[in-house]
Amino acid sequence: MNRGPVIFLGAFSAMALSWVGLIVQPQLQLGRSPQTTNTLNPVELYPQARSGLAQQGLQVYRSLGCATCHSQQVRQDGTVFDVALTSLGTNIAELVQAVQKVNPALSPAEAGKLVDMTPQIVLRGVDQATADTAVTNLSVGGAKAAAQLVALGPDLARGWGSGRSVAADYLFDQPVQLGAQRIGPDLANVGLRLPGRAWHFHHLYDPKAVVPKSVMPPYRFLFEKRKRGPQPSLDALALDGPSPRFDAGGTRTNWTSPDALKLSAGLAVPGGDELVPTDDAQSFVAYLLSLRADVSLFERPLSVVPPKPTAQATSATAAAVPLPAR
Amino acid sequence: MKPQFRESTPAPETEPKAGSVPVPVWLFVALGLLAFWSLRFLDTSAGGFNPKVYRPYASLASVAALQPKSEGDVMLVNGQRVFATYCSVCHQSTGQGLPGQFPPLAGSEWVTAPAPNRIIRLVLDGIQGPITVKGQNFNGAMPPWRELLTDADIAAVLTFVRGNQNWSNAAPPVTPEQVKAIRDKVPARTAWSPDDLLKVPETE
Repeated sequence: MNRGPVIFLGAFSAMALSWVGLIVQPQLQLGRSPQTTNTLNPVELYPQARSGLAQQGLQVYRSLGCATCHSQQVRQDGTVFDVALTSLGTNIAELVQAVQKVNPALSPAEAGKLVDMTPQIVLRGVDQATADTAVTNLSVGGAKAAAQLVALGPDLARGWGSGRSVAADYLFDQPVQLGAQRIGPDLANVGLRLPGRAWHFHHLYDPKAVVPKSVMPPYRFLFEKRKRGPQPSLDALALDGPSPRFDAGGTRTNWTSPDALKLSAGLAVPGGDELVPTDDAQSFVAYLLSLRADVSLFERPLSVVPPKPTAQATSATAAAVPLPAR
Repeated sequence: MKPQFRESTPAPETEPKAGSVPVPVWLFVALGLLAFWSLRFLDTSAGGFNPKVYRPYASLASVAALQPKSEGDVMLVNGQRVFATYCSVCHQSTGQGLPGQFPPLAGSEWVTAPAPNRIIRLVLDGIQGPITVKGQNFNGAMPPWRELLTDADIAAVLTFVRGNQNWSNAAPPVTPEQVKAIRDKVPARTAWSPDDLLKVPETE
């Protein structure tokens, strides 16, 4: 051992180089990222800080170990363009011809039908140059067309988002819950996909009742069993009826309903009890609903904001996310 | 096997010393090439280490080329989506409404007014009461969209509705700034009545 200093220097430089490469350099690149601007709506900054409840929910997510089975990172392989006809001009006949020229696969009748139903997508899955040419070719007689960017990738095909995850998505996460493996679906956009609070409560209480093939363990300790009072507690799981109805005095009139959640055998709560989500469950669901990265950023260009979900998510959409026809 | 004993070898007279063999020159060349290739690979596949460039994009220029080009066109497409989601249930996808129940948007004088100040108020806070559209009388209620739709959504859907040539509408587009101005100026209120709305000046 007469080379002590050399060995020390070698070990030191190996550690120092990895530290610079893995810690310092990423910190310099992204460490002080400010909020970015929504490219479709420049007055809006992204991301917005979570509500206090949702911030607590992040810690519940962390403590339950959700990141063991769920990732929060959507990957993207590439991009294609769709060409949408957005407004008709004055010369419909010429426009129908132009549509046919742009997309020769269409018969005259089909092209005419597309033009009738404008705005419609007339050409799908082409590269940017082709899309730009098509937009020019479609601008006849005052008609307008637009090229829309469509992100591609297996995660996106599963309906897990509209574009890839970028660093800005995690700006207010402390700690970031990227996840390591996908035993369950990716949750980067779960608030967009499954916007119903009631759905999440039911799913946490009994995953198999909502998604029959689910392998998620039930989180029943997030709920408290209480005696039913004259009025149901706020957000009480309506195990025998998901749509509570109230009379004029605010007393709940229905405790049974034909579209009730079907609990697995042996889980039904005996009459006279109700299941109330605890504070942890409330903040946890608030956090899940805050997971939505649907904003077009410079580093994640999206042409079209995905439509906001309105209907309460149903078990059908959760169990089988249909693949888009592409 | 018979064990060998140390006694059989003569004891060395001096302590053994580590010698030195020169590192072959080809190894330096190979390592240099490897470093060059790996750095180049990292650089090209990481967008020149630009924090704004992510896979699958290879450079800042390729991301810049993908930015939405014409906001007006994008707004029409967005507007169509918002319309299909929220508005077409009542006003129908044809924009014709339902006679006696929901007023038409195609050719409606409320929709195609040159200044959008009344229609923005109407969409933000809803409207209720007897209203005359294209000479027909209606008496219904439209819910407020203040909380549900963003400025960009409202601007997009109004641009789509007002400029929809299929419906023979040709009113100028609405910008998110116009919606924001009215949203900030007019506090949330109960639904407008058509008479109240007509009292709002034509251009404000």
